Amino acid sequence: MGAYFARRALLMIPTFLGITLLVFTITRFVPGGPVDQMIMQVRMGGAGGEAGGSASGLESSVDIPEAALASLKEHYHLDKSIVHAYFLWLGDLVTLDLGKSFKYNVPVLELITSRFPVSMYFGLIGFLLAYCVCIPLGVFKAIRHTSRFDLTSSFVVFLGYSIPGWALGLLLLLLFGAELDWFPLGGFRSPNWEELSFAGRVADQLEHTFLPVLAYAAGSFATLTILMKNSLMENLGQDYVRTAFAKGLPSNKVIFVHALRNSLIPICTGLGHALGLIMAGSYLIEKVFNIDGIGYLGFSSIIDRDYAVVMGILVINTALILTGNILSDVLYVVFDPRIRFK
Amino acid sequence: MSADPASVEPTPDAPSAPPKSESVLRRRFRRFRSIRRGWFSFIVLFSLYGLSFFSHLLVSEKALVVKYDGELHFPAFGNFHEAKEFGQRRIGEANYRLLDRTLAEDDDPDTWVLMPIYEFGPIENLLEELDGPPPHKPSAQHWLGTDNRGRDVFSRLVYGFWYSLTFGLGVVGISYLLGVAVGSVFGFFGGRVDIYGQRLVEIWASLPFLYTVMIISNILQPSLGLLVFLVAIFSWVGISFYMRGEFYREKARDYVSAAIAQGESRTSIMFSHILPNALTPIISFAPFALVGAMNSIVALDFLGLGLPAPTPSWGELMSQGLDSLTAGDYHLVVSPIGALLLTLLMVVFIGEAIREAFDPKVFSRLR
Repeated sequence: MGAYFARRALLMIPTFLGITLLVFTITRFVPGGPVDQMIMQVRMGGAGGEAGGSASGLESSVDIPEAALASLKEHYHLDKSIVHAYFLWLGDLVTLDLGKSFKYNVPVLELITSRFPVSMYFGLIGFLLAYCVCIPLGVFKAIRHTSRFDLTSSFVVFLGYSIPGWALGLLLLLLFGAELDWFPLGGFRSPNWEELSFAGRVADQLEHTFLPVLAYAAGSFATLTILMKNSLMENLGQDYVRTAFAKGLPSNKVIFVHALRNSLIPICTGLGHALGLIMAGSYLIEKVFNIDGIGYLGFSSIIDRDYAVVMGILVINTALILTGNILSDVLYVVFDPRIRFK
Repeated sequence: MSADPASVEPTPDAPSAPPKSESVLRRRFRRFRSIRRGWFSFIVLFSLYGLSFFSHLLVSEKALVVKYDGELHFPAFGNFHEAKEFGQRRIGEANYRLLDRTLAEDDDPDTWVLMPIYEFGPIENLLEELDGPPPHKPSAQHWLGTDNRGRDVFSRLVYGFWYSLTFGLGVVGISYLLGVAVGSVFGFFGGRVDIYGQRLVEIWASLPFLYTVMIISNILQPSLGLLVFLVAIFSWVGISFYMRGEFYREKARDYVSAAIAQGESRTSIMFSHILPNALTPIISFAPFALVGAMNSIVALDFLGLGLPAPTPSWGELMSQGLDSLTAGDYHLVVSPIGALLLTLLMVVFIGEAIREAFDPKVFSRLR
């Protein structure tokens, strides 16, 4: 078993290299990169009145000396082959140097660490909320299968599946933010956060948390509830449950002690993927609620061609997801001793 | 299971084979039809989709028929008519709606206009006919109001419906083809093909989907075909995992050994023996894949990475709604989300019914 997971961990390395090389290559071919932008800036700034529309050939630029262009290209390793540049980037990565943001002119790592707590805050609370609601709901639906409660709540589950979290967030924002004015129209905290008392801060933070967290939780609400329900239903049909009933145990004990424990296995293994939540700021939800988190950073870095940031987020994200996948499998073994990986 | 009285002979206790056995597919289809909610959604959704192919005849600013000075014209069928041909004082194409109203005043049987049922087009700017700044609130004339450029929201939703569903079906179709092909090859051949292939798929699957689509649609000018292709090449991976597993399981069955013993070719075993059996789980997954695909196009349009303006799309309307949240133009949020919700709810109902028909889980319980 240990060997299996060691092999899995080693297999992460080629996968990681493959992903980063692929995205690295894409970024090299995208027009409008740092050098192009610098040239545009120099042209706009230097020539002033000259019309900026004649961006025909970049090499035929009038006011940038060849030497400056070459040094610029060298700075971004654009004068080297893709593989060479990739290995230089990889070498920096080994020393935990993700480079500097082209737009903000600060180290990428600093930029990411300043943004991810906001995203993680919403992501984790939403995740916990989803588990806290879906597990009891799924259990109740399974016990009361085909009851009126089961059927009506199924409808809610279908609705939840049919609307993406960010669209639900938009609807909530409209109803409770704009119309009823119960909650603020987005943001992480109020602009006057610094002036608030402690109690005021707590209230303010909670007000800004409620709606986005609902939007995050809604994303996994339907699948998680159904997974829980089906898992428990399946276990209730097993022989060991029949045996437990036959030997005269009270049904509460059979359901909640015997069946429930086994049916939680598929739910618990999902916990491994929670690792990805650290960076899982959904850009869509962050856009709706105007939150300046990692999702927004990732999106704007692509639009601005801020490749150091693009690659930095990719590296951390990939590492977390790959580790999360393995962790998920480890959790399988921990929770379910019947499972053996070879 | 209740038998169809028309097709099955009334032989209640005879264990002998019925004269004509019902095929598995027929039985599944019958079961699917018996689930009312899903079957009803199926009929409604695909009737609406069929109708939406003719939306330029139902919801449009162009007249179906114009009779002017004794001559018949058919502008809705692609004939362009300048405004002055019909005595209107404006530049460009004639405004048939105004023509209809002016002609209705003089009761001349030789000049008339037949307009579509809903007489506003999706990209037609209505500012010159409406008072006040856009967006306009819903009214009897504009059922769902107008957007921030004075275009009719209902009309845009109708065209957006065709666009979203076509996109979704296209993505599901292509990703299924890719996923089935890749998954069945890995599952059937196994061994080294499988081990190395799986690593490549893993790399592909770990690429952040929306991320890469954003990069590419940021460089290239998006079109419906390109977007379908982009989203499809990222959504086949899950299907291939399913297929791989099914092939692994099916190829160990006796009927495959029998086919091999009979000397059947590999292609024959793969396609005519294993494939039909392996398709069951992914067929019942298809409607849920459609939900995912339609959500992704709405998200892309919401971010401004979908089809270029002025293509009518639901996501674009939602982003307008977000921008005008404080202005109280709620119809810009509620109408597209309502349209999306209703459509996807129907798809989910269909999916639930298909799953029930293909894979009926009977939970045996004691109490």
